[in-house]
Amino acid sequence: MLFRRLFLCALFVGLLTGIFDSAVQRWQVVPLILAAEVFEESAVPQGAEHAHADGAAHSHGPQAWAPQDGLERTAYTVLANVLNAIGSALLLMPLLAFWNRQRAGQPLALHKGYGASVRYGLLWGAAGWVCLFALPALGQPPELPGMQAAALQARQVWWTLTVACGAGGLAMLCLVQAKWRVLGLGLLVLPFAIGAPQHAGSSFAGMEADVALQMQQLVARFVVATAVASALQWLLLGTLSALAVARWLSPLLNPVAPATRLEGTAS
Amino acid sequence: MNISTPSITITPTTTAAISMLAQLGAALLLGLVMLYAVGFSEASVAHNAAHDVRHATGRPCH
Repeated sequence: MLFRRLFLCALFVGLLTGIFDSAVQRWQVVPLILAAEVFEESAVPQGAEHAHADGAAHSHGPQAWAPQDGLERTAYTVLANVLNAIGSALLLMPLLAFWNRQRAGQPLALHKGYGASVRYGLLWGAAGWVCLFALPALGQPPELPGMQAAALQARQVWWTLTVACGAGGLAMLCLVQAKWRVLGLGLLVLPFAIGAPQHAGSSFAGMEADVALQMQQLVARFVVATAVASALQWLLLGTLSALAVARWLSPLLNPVAPATRLEGTAS
Repeated sequence: MNISTPSITITPTTTAAISMLAQLGAALLLGLVMLYAVGFSEASVAHNAAHDVRHATGRPCH
């Protein structure tokens, strides 16, 4: 059954990508988060709900559970990365499989070798990175713990809108064969015309001047580190997804065997 | 929705096409739910467990 096979492929691709991603983050992203938390602790609490008297990182309530720093926290980060990658694979693979089917199984077909699958996988992965990381980051750069920002819900709504418009706009520009495909540009720009929610005042309110300066430098490095980490994640996810589609999903979607069809078109 | 295919494929029966689209759609939906749970769920347990991933992937977190 198609769904079952899709799900198993996503588990497999997500597990590999999530573990790889955790390793990349551990190396260049997590150290910046931990450094920022040291500064966050030293900042003047802005509200009761952000007090860290119990020592737990980021509890939003005094009794909220949080993983212990160290191995437990790393384990939950790996788990969350794996789930995030499985979710991403579950978005990417149905789209890839359907796109491939609409092209009669030509782009992702094993008889053409793995090269084509890897190439298209990298392209689709890059598209995923643009939609789910780069576009939202243009309006709302990745944040470090301790930074002040606009209301959470407003930022989540804008993030979702930007991702949806980005995916729709990019699909129209790249996949539609009609004059009105340029309307995709409008979709891409729409969230920025509306504008990301802005925080009134400094992102580092409540911090000493020298701490705020160091936080600023951390944020600059954090933006680069997260961009690189998520780009690597999406490129690997795209490649593995395309290979999985070619190997395991296309046979279910394309009832015509490639060899037969090639003979048919040649005659 | 227009699901017509380029000329050389054999057009599958409508039922098979609907079943295929439904299964692809179900997988897509499951993916969205998982991304929501990891990235946006407001439960403090989910927030604290996925905290570093939310920051690392540029999701609004606090």
